Amino acid sequence: MMAKPDLLESPETELSEALDLPWMVVVHNDPVNLMSYVSMVFRRVFGWSRERSELHMMEVHSKGRSVVWSGSREKAELYVQQLHSSLLLATLEKTSH
Amino acid sequence: MNFEISKRGNLLFSRIHPFLAEMIKSVAEDPWEEYPEGSSRLLPPPGTDEELLTDWSDHVQPDLRRRFDEDRSQVAQDIGTMKPGRGKLPVWSLEIPIDHVDAWLTTLNALRLAIVTEHGLGEEELAHKTSPDLSTFHGIALLRVNFYAFLQECLIQGLESRESEIGDQDSD
Repeated sequence: MMAKPDLLESPETELSEALDLPWMVVVHNDPVNLMSYVSMVFRRVFGWSRERSELHMMEVHSKGRSVVWSGSREKAELYVQQLHSSLLLATLEKTSH
Repeated sequence: MNFEISKRGNLLFSRIHPFLAEMIKSVAEDPWEEYPEGSSRLLPPPGTDEELLTDWSDHVQPDLRRRFDEDRSQVAQDIGTMKPGRGKLPVWSLEIPIDHVDAWLTTLNALRLAIVTEHGLGEEELAHKTSPDLSTFHGIALLRVNFYAFLQECLIQGLESRESEIGDQDSD
């Protein structure tokens, strides 16, 4: 059921940053949040296109979670906070490498 | 109940049946007061790191709670402007200013999450695979959650239509 964490890793992740600062933002499935709402929140928080937002939303829906960003801890915390302000289930996790 | 974008560019619900109007008026209820167990879902932990959990509990969660309360207060003000029509069965109307829509979306979502958690509504029920038993509190809770989801869908569609209209005007 679980998705591989790096399946849809965002291009914002810079290699050097990812190596030094291995934190990722994970959004988890929640049967209450509407698909259209989750997609809209992704567009607003990350500035993504509709297509990309829907891809991540579908990954959350079908696989239970999606890695939506990775990089520095400070920035990851900010993203989790923004996602929580829209009531999405988001967590901050260390990458496994 | 009808839904449209008003001449002033706001989102307008009209011909709202009194029963639905009462459910809309309940959107501004305080989830922390009404659903003490369910409201725990509104401030989830950000992970398992101890330092992060402490920091979140001390700084982030109080700020989020304050913002949710502000949004709910905005929604309560809009609800205060709801008007009943005339006639034997007075239908209501509600005009939501476009810049209040985000507050409505957050408040509706918070309320839905709190009700679902409080009443233990399951995924099958939420996916409309079972009919709500309206003789029980559980069934009424499911009805409310589904109605509020419908309102959310309308608002998202309305917001996207407005954004697309503005985009078209900018490109002219």
